[in-house]
Amino acid sequence: MSWYVVRRLAISFLVLLGISALVFFLLHVVSDDPGRVVLGQRASPQAVADFNREHGFDRPLVVQYLGYLDQLAHGDLGRSYKLNENVGTVLRQNAGRSAMLSLAGLILALLIAVPLGILQAVRRNSLVDRAATAASYVLYATPSFLLGLILIAVFSQSLPFFPAEASQSHSAWVVLTDPRAMALPVITLAVTSVAIFSQYQRSSALDQLGQDYIRVARAKGLPERSVLTRHLLRNACLPLITLVGTLIPSLLAGNLIVESLFNYPGLGLLFLNSLQHEDYPVLLAYTLIGGALTVAGNFVADIAVAAADSRIELNK
Amino acid sequence: MESHIVRASDGFENAREPVDGSRVLTIRDLSVEIRRGDRIVHPVSGVGLALDRGETLGIVGETGSGKSMTGLAVMGMLPDGGRVTGGSIDFGGTELVGLPPDRYRALRGNDIAMVFQDSMTALNPTRRVGEQVAEPVRLHQGASKRAARARAAELLDLVGIPKPLERLDDHPHQLSGGMRQRVMIAMALACEPRVVIADEPTTALDVSIQAEILDLLDDLRSRLGMSMILITHDMGVIARHADRVGVMYAGRVAETGPTPALFSHTRHRYTHALLSSIPSLTQDRREQLFSIPGTPPDLSASPAGCPFAPRCAAATDRCHEERPPLSVEEDGHTHTCWHPVATAAGRTCSGASAVARPAVSPETPAVRGTTPRLRVVDLRLEYPVGGRGLLGRRRTVKAVSGVSFDVAPGETFGLVGESGCGKSSLGRMLVALNRPTSGEVVFDGASVTGMSARELAPRRSQLQMMFQDSNSSLDPRMRVGAILREPLAIQGIGTRSARTARARELLGDVGLPSGVLERYPHELSGGQRQRVGLARALALDPKVLVADEPVSALDVSIRSQILNLMLRVQRERELSSVVISHDLAVVRYLADRVGVMYLGRLMETGTTEEVYGSTAHPYTAGLLAAVPEADPAAPRPRSGTRVRGELPSPIDPPSGCRFRTRCPLATEVCAATEPALVTLTGTHKAACHHPLRLPAAQPEELSAR
Repeated sequence: MSWYVVRRLAISFLVLLGISALVFFLLHVVSDDPGRVVLGQRASPQAVADFNREHGFDRPLVVQYLGYLDQLAHGDLGRSYKLNENVGTVLRQNAGRSAMLSLAGLILALLIAVPLGILQAVRRNSLVDRAATAASYVLYATPSFLLGLILIAVFSQSLPFFPAEASQSHSAWVVLTDPRAMALPVITLAVTSVAIFSQYQRSSALDQLGQDYIRVARAKGLPERSVLTRHLLRNACLPLITLVGTLIPSLLAGNLIVESLFNYPGLGLLFLNSLQHEDYPVLLAYTLIGGALTVAGNFVADIAVAAADSRIELNK
Repeated sequence: MESHIVRASDGFENAREPVDGSRVLTIRDLSVEIRRGDRIVHPVSGVGLALDRGETLGIVGETGSGKSMTGLAVMGMLPDGGRVTGGSIDFGGTELVGLPPDRYRALRGNDIAMVFQDSMTALNPTRRVGEQVAEPVRLHQGASKRAARARAAELLDLVGIPKPLERLDDHPHQLSGGMRQRVMIAMALACEPRVVIADEPTTALDVSIQAEILDLLDDLRSRLGMSMILITHDMGVIARHADRVGVMYAGRVAETGPTPALFSHTRHRYTHALLSSIPSLTQDRREQLFSIPGTPPDLSASPAGCPFAPRCAAATDRCHEERPPLSVEEDGHTHTCWHPVATAAGRTCSGASAVARPAVSPETPAVRGTTPRLRVVDLRLEYPVGGRGLLGRRRTVKAVSGVSFDVAPGETFGLVGESGCGKSSLGRMLVALNRPTSGEVVFDGASVTGMSARELAPRRSQLQMMFQDSNSSLDPRMRVGAILREPLAIQGIGTRSARTARARELLGDVGLPSGVLERYPHELSGGQRQRVGLARALALDPKVLVADEPVSALDVSIRSQILNLMLRVQRERELSSVVISHDLAVVRYLADRVGVMYLGRLMETGTTEEVYGSTAHPYTAGLLAAVPEADPAAPRPRSGTRVRGELPSPIDPPSGCRFRTRCPLATEVCAATEPALVTLTGTHKAACHHPLRLPAAQPEELSAR
């Protein structure tokens, strides 16, 4: 087990190194003149050249990349051109808020999707099942910005239950104590996930319901409820655990739309703004962290599945 | 033979007076229907059966005969869309049909329990064995967690699991198939039920384990005073373990009676045909196996007459038009047949097409004496499992460890052994689907093993394989025509129309109409698919055919059709074939020479007569002793000769003789040195320090067994 973890960590590190190189060079192809970006269109070519020399942007790319790696090794993600702040600080401020939004959305989605999926499997081809499946397809196909707009139109404009804008506070405490402000963004996030998760859970539960151990459990005289909670639930959730693990980073990236729609200052909104301003170091750091989260998500999912399923031994 | 007729609705159960009111379960005129979409099937129609205290009632039948559905109906566990449409199930005075669900649940697992076929999924993979065994005790007896755990340990001990306390916290995947089946039995017995329904309890197990599990069930039934319903497709299991039998066909009971009477005075034409089509270890090999033509009927239609009439050699117009009534004879033997078999008639000369098998003298292969077509020289296959540990030594599975044999032109070599003995790995190497780790396969003088893919390509057509599971070995999205044309197309033989003509010809050879060309595999029955599998293997007119478990997935009545077909094809085409099977009777029927494999090594080889007739290796003897013969009069072999225990791991096989850990004759020398394959007489060889017959001994009469 521990050997497995060490090896996986080493591989993860190499993957991240690859991501950083790829993104570094790609971004340089897209915007190769940071001086122009920072100083604006009206700055004199001399000033731009001076800026680039001063910040080392005239050096060969490889040297710049190695310099960047050195910086990273010291925990320095660089400095934002636009915000004139340390990138690490900026990301940290926004990351917590993004994580909170995603996590709330994820938990809500799982709380709905797991029982719903199992219910659909148990009542296969019933009215409930068909309706839920149809709804899932519609919701899955709906872009989240449209869904968000509809929710705003209904629950904020027509029926003034919730504010249209998410909480702007930078304090987690304030956000938590004002759940109404977060309701619409969280619901928007959750609804799309419920559509995927419940269908996933449904097919996995159907698979498991066909297995002999379910028949054996019924033959013991267990009430159907116990058959489902004691025998089906855990086995049926195994595939979903893997899915959620791989989705965690993309849930953060998914915030891009929801965060900008509800003007919620998280990582997604930051990325969007940085993109508009070609705020190169922020984009680089964001992508790198996205990669790190993807790798970490897969890693955690593997460990979680192994913990839930004794058949998997992590020494391979 | 005098027999009086009763109305079918009176049912079979009245045929026999209950012995001093000890009747436990009475099924009367039970009918079940299952709605699948728009189709309604009737898996059980008017079944009547009875079970007395302490007895084992065998229900035997083929796939779709309704035997399992009858068991599930008693448990109140019919599948979705299924319901009982008529009749009654009387369980010690309680009517089970229409019983409210909560009262049914109180009975289930408590008074009536079920043992299912072992499969990897029969136990919940994520829960500990102990919890699963304890569950019914906690549920029905309200036992505390601690008490239930103690009871679970007691139960595991009862079913013969060593060190039960340590096994409680194991997960199912840590147990072998035989152990898992014991756990299943422990679970069913947890609340000491009055009736246990065992549905194919040993079908997925090896014969040596099967014998142990069935003996265990017998023993527990008598010790705990339970009654048992044993549902199986295997007449041999019935003959050895059932007190009374019900033979089912197409959802109806064809015949019931005490086991000895049913086997010795078989009355119903179906039972008779079924028994005649089972290859046995004692039948005359020169005689062709009887086979029932056709396939079981569609259960969505309800024929007016006898359901077996379309396949019955003795059927008359009356059989097709009128349903035969129930005839009862003394001793409770009942049947529903218009033309019952005369009691005196022996089974082997069963009026029908028992065509004599072309006489092939057993010496033929030896006499031919030409260069063998296929030579296997010291073949080995090892493959790594798992990853390297920190210290680097990688463990390997020794699937095949030095096997050598020859197959002459026109000869059939049978490979027999339990699952995991390496016979399938060997088979794949013979047709160059897998490459051996060392050793070689020589085909017509050229070593296939060392060949590059390019050199091998033209020879592939000569080496063909027939697979066990025709369901997964035929591409579901290809029509049969395309499946049969593909090998020809790959080898670039003929034009498209010529290939189609050849495909039609091949179908004719395997007894299928040419209309099948346009069908998809899923539209065919199992037997038809297996015929297509054989036709595909024959498409390129190969010289060598390897058949891996060719009939294991088939029902008895279909099995004999395929066996006869294979035998005919082998003879007609002068094929050199290798038949791989766990079924000793199948190998005996098809093969001229036999090799018995155990843990990757050949333990005994020789002509079929030598190996079966004058067995030399204790392993072969143990396997033969474990096969239940479809004859209750056959003497039960002393359990001492049986193979006991579990197959050791092929990762770390025992030192010396690999069989020694399960051998009744093992001594110190067996652990120290590995016995070589020594010639006993002629072609008969065995690898054993203590062979059952000495090399010097004269061969016994060939038909001795």
